[in-house]
Amino acid sequence: MSNSRMSTVAQFVERFRGANNEGILLLVLAALVLVIGTLNPVFFSVSTLFSILRGVLVPLILALAVLIIMISGGIDVSFVAIAIFAGYTSVVIAQSGGGDPGLIVIILIALFFGLLLGAFNGFVISLFRLPTLIVSLGTQSLFKGILLAYVGSKYIANLPPSMDSVATTNILSIPQDQGVANLHVLVIPVAIILILVAWVLKKTMFGRAVYAIGGDMEAARRAGFPVVRTQFYIYMLAGALAAIGGFLHVTLGRAANPQDLVGNELDVLAAVVLGGASVFGGRGSVFGTVLGVLLIQVINNSLILAGVPTSWQRTAVGVLLLVGVGIQALSARRQSMKSHVTEDTEKE
Amino acid sequence: MASQNTETKTLALANSRIETSLRGMLSRTQEHSSVTRMLVILLGSFAFFTVLQPAIFLNPVNLQNISIASPEIGVIAIAMMLAMLTGGIDLSLIAIANMSAITITTLYSTLAAEDPQAAAEAMPFIVLLGLVVGGVAGAFNGFLIAKLQIVPILATLGTMQILNGLAIVWTGGSTLYGAPEALTAVGKSGILYVPTLFVLFLLTALGVGVFLNQTSLGKKLQLLGSNPVAAKYSGIDTSRVLMRTYIVTGLLGGFAGILFLVRNPTSSADYGSSYLLLAIVIAVLGGTNPAGGFATVWGVVLATLTLQVVSSGFTAVRLSAYEYAITQGLILIVVMVLDFLSSRRKTRAPKLSRFKLRRKEV
Repeated sequence: MSNSRMSTVAQFVERFRGANNEGILLLVLAALVLVIGTLNPVFFSVSTLFSILRGVLVPLILALAVLIIMISGGIDVSFVAIAIFAGYTSVVIAQSGGGDPGLIVIILIALFFGLLLGAFNGFVISLFRLPTLIVSLGTQSLFKGILLAYVGSKYIANLPPSMDSVATTNILSIPQDQGVANLHVLVIPVAIILILVAWVLKKTMFGRAVYAIGGDMEAARRAGFPVVRTQFYIYMLAGALAAIGGFLHVTLGRAANPQDLVGNELDVLAAVVLGGASVFGGRGSVFGTVLGVLLIQVINNSLILAGVPTSWQRTAVGVLLLVGVGIQALSARRQSMKSHVTEDTEKE
Repeated sequence: MASQNTETKTLALANSRIETSLRGMLSRTQEHSSVTRMLVILLGSFAFFTVLQPAIFLNPVNLQNISIASPEIGVIAIAMMLAMLTGGIDLSLIAIANMSAITITTLYSTLAAEDPQAAAEAMPFIVLLGLVVGGVAGAFNGFLIAKLQIVPILATLGTMQILNGLAIVWTGGSTLYGAPEALTAVGKSGILYVPTLFVLFLLTALGVGVFLNQTSLGKKLQLLGSNPVAAKYSGIDTSRVLMRTYIVTGLLGGFAGILFLVRNPTSSADYGSSYLLLAIVIAVLGGTNPAGGFATVWGVVLATLTLQVVSSGFTAVRLSAYEYAITQGLILIVVMVLDFLSSRRKTRAPKLSRFKLRRKEV
């Protein structure tokens, strides 16, 4: 009796936890918001919400690129270099014509470079089967070096008018006691991309191939997945996503600085790992990643509101990362112990 | 007929004997091949830049600069090599080194402001404290990796963020002055025209070489890296070996921090931010297998010198730092592709075993 009730509770807990501990993450996020809110009631306001939403746009898109690669069993740090390369180069090319080629053309140029650089990563990694972290460390240095040496190293403050007008467009403006809370228009395309990537990962053959390769590459091959080709596409897709992230970064910042983004890759990586993606591959979800990015953004945004100096940001993210990964590692170990016990009793 | 049979038998036996001895010789040369290869590349790049800009490049000042700039990154690369040897990686090394340098600078300058005499007397202990900081940080890494079984890349990523963050909090983001004068004096001294810094570097390499090949921990560490399962079944306490390895790695990081101060009497939270990639490039170029199990100290030493030669050569022929970054990236990728191609040609390893290798390295 009590046993069965316990099992229903356990079942509920299990379901709430989600496949990658998304439920726990949601609780942590809620608790954090509550604590910061009690410490400083200013936190509970529409403008805080909107400014956090605006702040997560770029990290979210970049995190998707990292997520796809991580699910496939790799680790990438070159996505920041691809992002700023695509974002900066598209502005340089758009301005070389003299006029404004329009938003669509600029995005296409950015996407082109994202796909190109992603394809280079994919080529090296899928064909030679090299350790992804070390390859991407190399390509990060390579891409950033090429950008600064041959494309330009100057800060561009005047963006094409089409980008500038997007940067100042809001879909919702709610007047507040002090100023106005603005919901930025770019929230919509980012939401669409999130849903699209979630759909691709869950429902398409390509998405299942990504999980299969990350789970066990040899098994995926034997099951008939085209491993090399899929890996190649994964890195191209990640490159394209990074390029969109770079474009958003340049647009939202209203300036193109080739020194930006590179150096912040670990924050994004930490967010994806916190979101439940496994560095061994085969696990991870878009929902978890969104929560992970939100968590880090809330911490970065709200430490001041909670009375903690901003210089503690980096330490806080580091501690959070270790706690998150530590819990994962411990629960994985407990899981494996559990399965050993059942095996033994069955034998007896 | 019978005699012919025995003859073929002895022939076959002799054949197989020759083959095994040949194989043994080949594998031994393979072991030395990474060092030999590095020596060729070092001499080649040195000759290349000498031909391009003999006046600038062969200038004693340039050569001295190379030997003064290499030690700090070289020690970090050796530490990186140790972590890679176990199949892991240590991303926190530069943060550890900065933490050690900041600790020494802060303690010494506060003490010197109150009582210069006491500060001078306490100097050796303060410098030792830099090593202790490294050891403690390394032990923390070891705890995360060996006890909690967190993947090395994530564990050291977290430690790096924490240490770097603490350094920013501590220094307020500014550069600290006032390192012990005695350390700076070491930086200016030399032994028979060779900078003391460089001698320290070679001694460290020698020490790590002895540690790897002569001590039981060193041997266990190598076995652990090449085959963790076999290591476990041959009675090696893998968790203890990992723990100690990361402590050694941390100590080397702390020592690198001391070398930072010897070369340059200031310390800050973001010193050497480009060193992380460089250390990995050097380790891999020096013949370290990122999947673990194989590395040579001297390969890493030669790789350090090579990259320093390339760096100063680039300056001599007026190429930018950006072009040096491009070259670093290219070297890393090209070396790994070449290693992959040559290992495939040599062993024709079945695909499955390659994948097992891959899973370990993440």
